[in-house]
Order: sequence, then C-alpha cells, then structure tokens
Amino acid sequence: MEMKSPPGAPKTLWSLRRGEHCAIAGYDDLLAEAYKVRLMEFGFYPGETVSCLQSPAFGAPKVYRVNNTIYSLDDEIADHILVESTPSRD
Amino acid sequence: MTRVLLIGSPNSGKSLLFNRLTGLSQKVANFPGITVDVATGKLQGMDDVDLVDFPGTYSLKAISAEEKVAVAQFEKALEDTEVEHVLCLIDATRLEKSLFFTLQVIRECEQHGKAVTVLANMIDVLEANNLSIDLAALETAIHTRVIPISARSGKGLADIAEQIRAARSAGAQVQRPHLTDTPDELLRGTAHQLAQRLGPRGDVLVRTQNRLDAFFLHSFTGGFAFFGIMYLLFQSIFTWSTPAMDAIESSLAWMADGIVPLIGNSILQDFTADALFSGIGAFLVFVPQIFVLTFVIGLLEDSGYMARATLICHKPLRYFGLTGKSFVPMLSGVACAIPGIYAARAVDSPRKRLLTYMAIPLMPCSARLPVYALLIAAFIPAETFLGGLVGWQGLAMFGIYFFGMFMALVITGFVSRARKDKFDDLPFVLELPPYRLPGIKPLLRNAFNRAKHFVVKAGKIIFAVTLVVWVLGYFPNYGADLGQSWLGHMGRIIEPLFAPLGLDWRYGVAILTSFLAREVFVGTLGTIFGIEGAEENMVPLVQQIQGSDLTIASGLALLVFFAIALQCVSTMAILAKESRSGTLALKMFGAYFVLAYAMALLVYHLAALF
Repeated sequence: MEMKSPPGAPKTLWSLRRGEHCAIAGYDDLLAEAYKVRLMEFGFYPGETVSCLQSPAFGAPKVYRVNNTIYSLDDEIADHILVESTPSRD
Repeated sequence: MTRVLLIGSPNSGKSLLFNRLTGLSQKVANFPGITVDVATGKLQGMDDVDLVDFPGTYSLKAISAEEKVAVAQFEKALEDTEVEHVLCLIDATRLEKSLFFTLQVIRECEQHGKAVTVLANMIDVLEANNLSIDLAALETAIHTRVIPISARSGKGLADIAEQIRAARSAGAQVQRPHLTDTPDELLRGTAHQLAQRLGPRGDVLVRTQNRLDAFFLHSFTGGFAFFGIMYLLFQSIFTWSTPAMDAIESSLAWMADGIVPLIGNSILQDFTADALFSGIGAFLVFVPQIFVLTFVIGLLEDSGYMARATLICHKPLRYFGLTGKSFVPMLSGVACAIPGIYAARAVDSPRKRLLTYMAIPLMPCSARLPVYALLIAAFIPAETFLGGLVGWQGLAMFGIYFFGMFMALVITGFVSRARKDKFDDLPFVLELPPYRLPGIKPLLRNAFNRAKHFVVKAGKIIFAVTLVVWVLGYFPNYGADLGQSWLGHMGRIIEPLFAPLGLDWRYGVAILTSFLAREVFVGTLGTIFGIEGAEENMVPLVQQIQGSDLTIASGLALLVFFAIALQCVSTMAILAKESRSGTLALKMFGAYFVLAYAMALLVYHLAALF
C-alpha cells in the first residue's frame, strides 16, 4: 500500500486541491482488488464526480465528497485512484 | 423463541435503533465501526422475539479478518431456523452508501427464505431540510418494504413491530425472489443507478458539514480546536474523576474501619483489611476514570468531532505504524492505561489496534507519578535556575514522561516495520459523519456499562492476583515482618537479577508488589524501611533512601525500568479481555520486562561512568 505512482503517471485523486473536482477514471494496478471493490461500494465509482472539500496541512488525509457522503482518504489510497478533469460545476 | 437480525452499514444509527427497540443499552456512536460484538435483546412489546445487533459493515464482501467474522456470523445466522426476519438499516440521507449492501442483504435473505424489511433512518433530517427520497419507487425497485424511521426521535418505530408481526403471520416465505442469482457486479450497478435516481437532491446537508470542517480542519483554527478539545478530554479524566475516586477510597476506608475491628480472628482481620478492602479498592479506584473517559469519548464520537481528530493526527502517527484513531487511546493512557485500552476499540484495523495496545502501557500513566516523584526527590538535585522557572527535578520529570512516549513510538515503529504485511491491515478511508448534538442518556448508560464490564471481567483476575500477593507477603510470620515473609524470601531469591542494577532485595520485593499497581512500590518501600504512610508523605522515605547505599545510577535505572515495564495487573487483565488473548498480555509483559531491564542496565552503566 505504500507504493506511490511513478512520475508522469495519470492524475490521481490525491493531486486534487481544495475546491477542485474531477471524475473517477479508474484505479491503478497497484491497488488490491478488494480495496477497489470497497471504494466502489463507498461511491468512488468510475465516472462519478468527486470534490476535494478540505486539504489539511502537513500531508494529513484529504476530505472528499462523493454524492452526499464525505470521506477522508490518505495518500496511500488516494494516490491509486485515477481521475480526469470535469467541466466546472459552479 | 424467534429471532430478528438487525444489520446495517456503519454510522447509519444502528446501535441507537437497537437501544430504542430493545430498551437495552448498546454502544451508540456517531463513528464508524463502534459495534464490536453481536448484542442481543428482547424486542419491546414482543417478549418471544430476540433482536440481534450485528456489527456494522459496508459490504458482505469482507476485506478484513474482522469483517469476515461479522459476515460469516450473519450468514450462519441466516441458516438458523429460529431467525425469521432481517431488518436492514440504511441512512436515508446518503442512499448511495447503503444501497449496494442492502441489495446484497436482500439477495442473501431470498436465498435463505427469510423476510427482510428495509428501514430508512434519519428521515427527520431529510424533512428538516426540505429534502426527500422516493420511498414508493424504492420499494418497487427492490421489491421490499421500506419503512421511513428516525431512530433519534422514535418516528416510525411502531411500524417496525407491526411489520414483523405481519411477516410472522404471513409465514416464512414472504420475499418474492428477484435477486437470488444476481452477481455483486450487477447489484453494484443497480445500487448506483437507484441512488442517483431516488436519493435526496440538494447540498444542504453537506454544506453545513463543510462549513464546520473548514473551521475544525483548518491549519490554524483546527489545530487550536484540536489541542483545546484534547486538553479538556485529558483534564476531564483527572478533574471529573478525582472526587469520585477520593469518595471510593474514603468509603472503603470508612467501611474497613467499621468492619475490621468486629472480626475476632487476627488472620481474618488482616485478610479483610489488607487483601479484601485494599484489593478491591486498588481496582475500584479506576472505575470513575473509565466512566468519565468513556462518556467524554462518546461525546466526541457522537458529535462527529472524533473522526476529525483522527484525521488531524493520522499522518504523524502513520509513520510509527499507528493511525489517527490511535491518538485518543494513547492520550487516555497518559491518565491510565485501562480506559486507553478500552478506547482502542475504535481502531478498526486489527494490525493498528495491536500496535495501539503495545503503545498504551508505555504512556506515562498517573500510577507512575508517585514512583517518579520518590526517585526524583531522592536522586535529582532540587536546584533551580532562571528565577525558579526551571529546575533539575522538573526537567527529570519531563524527561521521564517524554521518554515513555518516545519509547511507545519507537517500539510501534519498529514492530510495524518488522512485521509488515504479516497481519491484517486496512487502508485509511474514513467516513466523516455529520456534526450532531449527542444524546446524553445513551452516553451515560454506555459509560456505566463500560465501568461495569471492567468490574465484572477484570475484577476477578485482579482480585485473584491481589490475594496471591497478600498470602505471599503475610505468611509464614502473619504479617509481622515483610522481609521475613515468603515475598521477602522471593525478593532475596531474585536479588541476583536486580543486583546488576545495584538494587538489593528490598527493591526486588517492592518491584514484585508493584505488579498490583505501580504506586504500591512506594508503600512497600515505606513498610520495609519502617515508615508509616509513605504514600502520603514521602519525605522520611526519601531521606531513608538517600541514607542507604543506593546510588544515583541505580535510581536512574529504576526510573527507566518503571517507564517501560508493564507492572500493572489491572492493565494486563483488561488487555487480555479486550484483545481476547491472554497470550498477548503475557508476551507483552515478558517483552517489556526484558526491554525495561536491558534499558535500565544500560542507563545504570552509563550513569556510573560520570
């Protein structure tokens, strides 16, 4: 779980800053299948829009909104969730 | 007797509903993963029906060993012919979180021919915010009765009992199979579409939560709030517990004064005074701390703040193999390891919970304070500087406190790296629950239950060990001279073990008795040196120790030994109960003894160089 995506790799959920949103593109191959399934059960479904609500200092886990639920994910897992840009909703 | 199962995802209000439906007090918390055990209670108004509360889980496809146990228990229960009905609780404000799990449950119930009813909780929250979900469309889509309820206000609860009665009278096969052979992948897609189509629309719930998060998770205001709240939590353990602790001690002393003189037999008299009253007092005194800490932690959990505190301190603790959820148990351990070990229930990852268990006994608990105070007064100069602002004794106390915390992190960091991937872990994905006003009554009941659990479960072990130590210290000379007792002889037998630290048999005996509670070390040394009431007034004992041949190197070695050694029967008893492993408690006792001894030896030799 501590492996990070290599430089130049697709954008990940962890790279989102506060106020930004994106669509889930998928998961990288380093993430265990069981965790992929669990993330989908939480709502991190490919195609789903996710917003970064809070990005606390000192590398603390970030706060994401998916649908009406708010989750906190640390870099060990958010760095394995691939995302793509979506048009601004505001 | 028939049984009804209650199942739902974490943080959906399941435990509160269970309490409401049964009148029993089960842990109610606004924090994922609180329900650890399967609880059972009689359904109110239906005496022949037991309601079984299963641990909250997000899916029937388990990813951790604990989830696997919970899912296996649920599947086993469905095989039980006494189980007639399953109540599946969902959070109506966040349908997407609950629906996949709900469809899995419906499929399992269809396969086993059990009736299932979906309970849409927190309907009052939706109504208060002018939101709604299309319940009729949901019922049609999942072919299952959906009852809107509010576990908090009690709305809709009467309909649940009515539905159970109706299902009973209709017979076992009330479910029209439609999902029986549907794989998880299809269920997931269906759940996602249904949640999108039927779930509440609007940002009002999330907006309020986000405004508060912007304050509580802000680099400055969040840090300020965190330290303030944690200070209050820590202080409450001392401030709010102390009057009750004093009252327990005074009451026991008053009872002992009244009862002991009435006993004719001198052995029985000594037994009653020293083993019975002192033994019971030694562990009953922890009860107020456990009660207060459980209550305050419950307040933080139910308010939704605990999840935020977890987030704030996750990153630094992760470096040492721990999680943000380890922080409160460790902080509690600074007051007393026992409530800290109870608080570790909130750590959902078994691997990180084990590491948290390992860290807690190293936190500088209040029972170490008298030992540190005695040894520092005896060996560290009272000299102060900077106008009395800084002194050697204060620095020594700070140093030994910091040393315990440092050792806790070093050990968990080392073990987590040495045992990487060898035992169960979970990634850090934490649902942040909405901020809510906690209900005081369930929290008080829960705190009472936790205190009762301690007295009933750990009390027997603690009392048995107390009895053994009393017998060893009393016989064969009937308490006339501790030095000539079996315990005194044991002290002489183990003298070679402590001799390399420059300690004679007297300190060996004090270390043996301090296994009852660390502060007993002071009282035992007082007894051996012939000083009455050494616990209350240490000055004569300090003078005796200074006048003996104990060197400063030995004093420092003792300090280090007590900072690490797991010298507390109560901690071991509750560790064995909570971890469900007596072996773990014994292994930790052995490992920390060896480490404490080795570190003390190192310090002794280093100090001897100067």
